[in-house]
Amino acid sequence: MRFLDDPVRFLFFTGKGGVGKTSIACATGVHLAASGKRVLLVSTDPASNVGQVFGTTIGNRITPVPGVPGLDALEIDPVAAADQYRERIIGPFRGVLPDEAIASITEQLSGSCTTEVASFNEFTDFLADTTTTATYDHVIFDTAPTGHTLRLLQLPGDWTSFLNTGGDASCLGPMSGLEKQRASYANAVAALTDPTRTRLVLVARPQPTSLGEAQRTADELTEIGIHATNLIVNAVLPASAATGDVLAQTIREREQRAIAGLVGSLTDIPHDEIPLKRHNMVGIDALRSLLSAEEETAAMTAAGAQDSNLPTLDALLAELAPAGRGLIMCMGKGGVGKTTVAAAIAVRLADLGHSVHLTTTDPASHLDKTLEVSSGLPNLTISRVDPQEAIANYRAHVMATKGAALDEAGKAALAEDLMSPCNQEIAVFQQFSHLVHQAGRSFVVMDTAPTGHTLLLMDTTGAYDRDMRRTMAPGLKFTTPLMRLQDPNYTHIVQVTLPETTPVLEALELREDLARAGITPWAWVVNQSLSATDTHSPLLRERAALEAEPLHMVEQAASRLAVVPYLAVEPVGIPLLRELVAPPVTSAHI
Amino acid sequence: MPTIRVYEPALCCNTGLCGPDVSQDLVTFNADLDHLQSRGADITRHNLANDPDAFARNPIVMNYLQAVGTDGLPLVLVDEVTVMTGRYPDRVTLTRLAGMADRPDLGLIAVPKASADAGSCGSSGCC
Repeated sequence: MRFLDDPVRFLFFTGKGGVGKTSIACATGVHLAASGKRVLLVSTDPASNVGQVFGTTIGNRITPVPGVPGLDALEIDPVAAADQYRERIIGPFRGVLPDEAIASITEQLSGSCTTEVASFNEFTDFLADTTTTATYDHVIFDTAPTGHTLRLLQLPGDWTSFLNTGGDASCLGPMSGLEKQRASYANAVAALTDPTRTRLVLVARPQPTSLGEAQRTADELTEIGIHATNLIVNAVLPASAATGDVLAQTIREREQRAIAGLVGSLTDIPHDEIPLKRHNMVGIDALRSLLSAEEETAAMTAAGAQDSNLPTLDALLAELAPAGRGLIMCMGKGGVGKTTVAAAIAVRLADLGHSVHLTTTDPASHLDKTLEVSSGLPNLTISRVDPQEAIANYRAHVMATKGAALDEAGKAALAEDLMSPCNQEIAVFQQFSHLVHQAGRSFVVMDTAPTGHTLLLMDTTGAYDRDMRRTMAPGLKFTTPLMRLQDPNYTHIVQVTLPETTPVLEALELREDLARAGITPWAWVVNQSLSATDTHSPLLRERAALEAEPLHMVEQAASRLAVVPYLAVEPVGIPLLRELVAPPVTSAHI
Repeated sequence: MPTIRVYEPALCCNTGLCGPDVSQDLVTFNADLDHLQSRGADITRHNLANDPDAFARNPIVMNYLQAVGTDGLPLVLVDEVTVMTGRYPDRVTLTRLAGMADRPDLGLIAVPKASADAGSCGSSGCC
């Protein structure tokens, strides 16, 4: 594995959720510890599962990993970090300022900015604070999904120039707290941009969209002065497993084509391929096997066959279609196929003759690719909430209305203030709320952004809801967007996941988060199921058998369920999206 | 030169210029403040969310918070004397308070306000 050659002090693994970066980060930790190094594994993922991988509880403080001498791990929980950050600010004034003033400060420090700032504070400690990390030879960061990672990585650059210019710390809490951190942030930036200290490894699956995502990440990082040093293509179907079965053969060909087709900046950096394994990467033995060159032999018995009893998306939509309107939100961690499922649902409802609007708030939109732009369905419209565009529109609107009477100096100052990060959340929410309203007349199908972002959006909605209730006259009838989302007759939440343990556990965590906002998923969709195919490849059948447990977990949790088959070709374009909804039961034998 | 101190409700950012609907009062006050500061006036604003220490250290502000509560903010002090509550001074008033008007003609301008306008994101928790 080339990414392990002469390892430097800091190792970052970045990529969309579900590509396997946690497994690889954990396996790297196990590998380096086995060579006698002292290693610290830091997870900053909002849905961290380092503990799950090692079958133990890690949590918010440095914890030795049982059975792996030399390896310690830590999960930065953004919520807990935000709590501690808030308490550091408010604590000294409890009992000094009136309770009502304390409550008002607390409310202001409850939003997304505070969470980001708090997580970032923790993160820089490990990148820059030598007293915490001095005893370790290597610090491995299992970072969050791409969008979040970018924000996290983008901040140091912004902040350093921001602090150097003595800027006004909008939204970032008391300045005194920031001043103390100045040196720490500067060190973090220096470490991140220094290839002799930091190795940044992109992780992707051998699929064009996943590799495209890695490419985009690499380019975006380059823009902010950080260079990806390695690429790992994970879970590649080995040649030995791709004989005698149409699905396995086409998957193999497709993956090899995608890898051979690497273009642009990704061809300049060394890449490794990790073969698809028979087992899930849970436990130390599995992790040891992940990075070993040994090829596994699949059991030759092709046990099991296509499970034709699995519920289809078509059956699920039959219940939904008659209403002719409503909001359908596909939620789930990045990489589970929310976009694909949302597009398939939209196409099916449009095929049934309904008026459908399909939209995405995913900053890295796959929508155009999935539908190949022109839909060919007259009653299907497609749009995208582009966060950058939304904030630009928001600023323009405020400048043109509230800022209209200002002189030039005043206008310049207002424009500067409107650049604050929380205004982007607000601006996206405004777009979103407009679409929520539209679902009263027709179907609106949304492919929401990755988990963390989605929840922030919900949080914004919640705060807006509280504000509305407070300002509206008592007794007056009103409906807020959050109330729409909580209304099962109006909104149908479709929780999308993959038939693998970690994605299902993450989906269950997401469900808990939604429950706190009073939102319950209407149905679950398990995407890319091998059980729903008739593959006869021994390796793929073994993988299909591994789906039984996660599928059972979903059945326990879901009031409604659909299982979408793994297609031999990527579901791009309308005909293939139709196949996802109602898969034809065909024979794929050679 | 008179010292003007403006004690503001908990705004999500230093200027409060954010949220679903940006407050016109705050936009105007922010511009007026910049203007007066550029002319050398001694004006400082304290945001309850950013700078609780400034509130806790000043007995006048503490007494006001105990008696009226945060709904009564902003509170404007000139040389430690309360001159305005519940609303922001406009540019003409600020200029006078700063002792920069052609004919300094300072009177007490305490205006009680019926409904507290906490600013655009005073209670939205947008940050």
